[in-house]
Amino acid sequence: MRLFLRDHVPLMIILGLQIVITSIVYAFNDGSALSTISYVFIVSLFLLLVFLVYQYVTKRGFYARLSNPEASMEPIFTSKSRQFTPIEQALQDLLTDQFHFMQQELHQAENRMNRHVTFMNQWVHDMKTPLSVIHMTIQDEDEPIFDSIREETDRLTKGLETVLYMARLDSFEHDFYIEEVDLAQMMGQFVKQNKRLFIRSQVFPKIGIAENQTVVSDEKWLTFVFSQIINNAVKYSTGKSRTIEISASMEQEHLVVQVRDYGIGIPAHDVERVFEPYFTGDNGRQYPASTGMGLYLVHEICNRLGHRITVESEQGEGTSVRIYFTNTTEDDAYRRKE
Amino acid sequence: MDRIMIVEDDPKIYTLLKEQLEKYGYEAVVADDFDRIADQFTQIEPNLVLLDVNLPKFDGFYWCRQIRQISTCPILFISAREGKMEQVMALEHGADDYITKPFDYEIVMAKIASHLRRAYGSYAPKATERSLSLHGLTLLPERLEVSLADQSLELLRKESLLLEVLMERYPRVVSRDRILEKLWDENHFVDENTLNVYVTRLRKKLKDLGIEEAVETVRGAGYRLKVTWADVSS
Repeated sequence: MRLFLRDHVPLMIILGLQIVITSIVYAFNDGSALSTISYVFIVSLFLLLVFLVYQYVTKRGFYARLSNPEASMEPIFTSKSRQFTPIEQALQDLLTDQFHFMQQELHQAENRMNRHVTFMNQWVHDMKTPLSVIHMTIQDEDEPIFDSIREETDRLTKGLETVLYMARLDSFEHDFYIEEVDLAQMMGQFVKQNKRLFIRSQVFPKIGIAENQTVVSDEKWLTFVFSQIINNAVKYSTGKSRTIEISASMEQEHLVVQVRDYGIGIPAHDVERVFEPYFTGDNGRQYPASTGMGLYLVHEICNRLGHRITVESEQGEGTSVRIYFTNTTEDDAYRRKE
Repeated sequence: MDRIMIVEDDPKIYTLLKEQLEKYGYEAVVADDFDRIADQFTQIEPNLVLLDVNLPKFDGFYWCRQIRQISTCPILFISAREGKMEQVMALEHGADDYITKPFDYEIVMAKIASHLRRAYGSYAPKATERSLSLHGLTLLPERLEVSLADQSLELLRKESLLLEVLMERYPRVVSRDRILEKLWDENHFVDENTLNVYVTRLRKKLKDLGIEEAVETVRGAGYRLKVTWADVSS
């Protein structure tokens, strides 16, 4: 209604002016009686009113649609119940064209995105062949120079992994598999596979997880999450502390897995922001090779898996990262999947 | 001797794998015709197959099915893809295990040994047993046994691993990091203090064989084996 009135204000002003001018002209013309003037005045006003009412009645739907746009474009094209006025029809056609055009664009963008993800996947796997060759070639060598090469190939492997998981994050719904994961076994395997990291940094893990302790999650993504967290813990402990503690405990209905280090910690003003993408903070500036992507990915993955994650830290004292698992409501994870 | 067939299209990877397998006393044969893997399998008659997933023409899954139709021999996949789905697929196509690249030789060798044992039993004709010899001192790592002249002695697993790496690297110094790496497994994370304990225990065992001061500490670097015993065998 308001839009309709606003749209017709110029018309009403023009017609109003016209009526007034006509009346004045009549008034100065001596032959006209007051009754004639008022007659013209009333008839004109009446015609205007009729016109406005007609306009309003026929185009009410049109104006309503303009003032309250639908969230989605779809219903506009499906409501074919009413007869459209020409202007409405024109708008409808324009919108339809635009909509199809945008949809095409979106479709192309999606295709590009998919191609990109597929390419990243393929590329990362291709890069693993040369990495494997280097890894195999130097595996039995012990001179310091080979240690240095090994360290770099390990970093490359980690980097490739991050790229892969980042690319997969968007297609997460198709790419996970919820099951009971044996925590102690998973950690044991992880530690064994990454023993070089611990030995090189002279930081040793203490694992306090009961045997057969399981959580409901996706093993692959969860391993990635812990690998990022533990890598950080080791990195920021190196040279300051020699142990990190990985433990599991019950807290109300949650199983909480905590990774605790006694490293340099995170400054208070940075703690809040560690999960932001590309955020590296003060520590990132001190330590090279911080991309700011690790914890962001961890947070995103935990969200999607339905695990809560928190970070507590005190500068100079160390950091503890805690992940809360809900084991009792198994179907929770399934619900997310669907 | 156990024969292992390697189906892998990267020349460097299969060469390195072949060398490593031969070092462990296996006979390794590399398949070279990716159109006729199944035929080659019949010709080679291996005891175990290492199969890459990404191959020219047909993928590893396809060949795995083909081989399964004619044989029950253990098939281990080696692939760069670490996804759960790939692993499940591999097992569904009849594979026995799945190893992801890049891999450590130790893991591959351990898996090969365990699958061979499972498939053919421990009484099956064993590949030549691994043994290391240095100046008359012989270590049989699979038996955890060390012998000098006619005297022999049982070792604990960690001691055997420690002696093995020292003998392998002789006469070079072995870094502490490398030793730690060798001794780590899923349940025992060996730190430096524990390593000292193992070294002390190994020295004591060697002393029982009449060998003294053979394990030398090199400050700031690691350990080195020194031949302090007389070679009686020659």
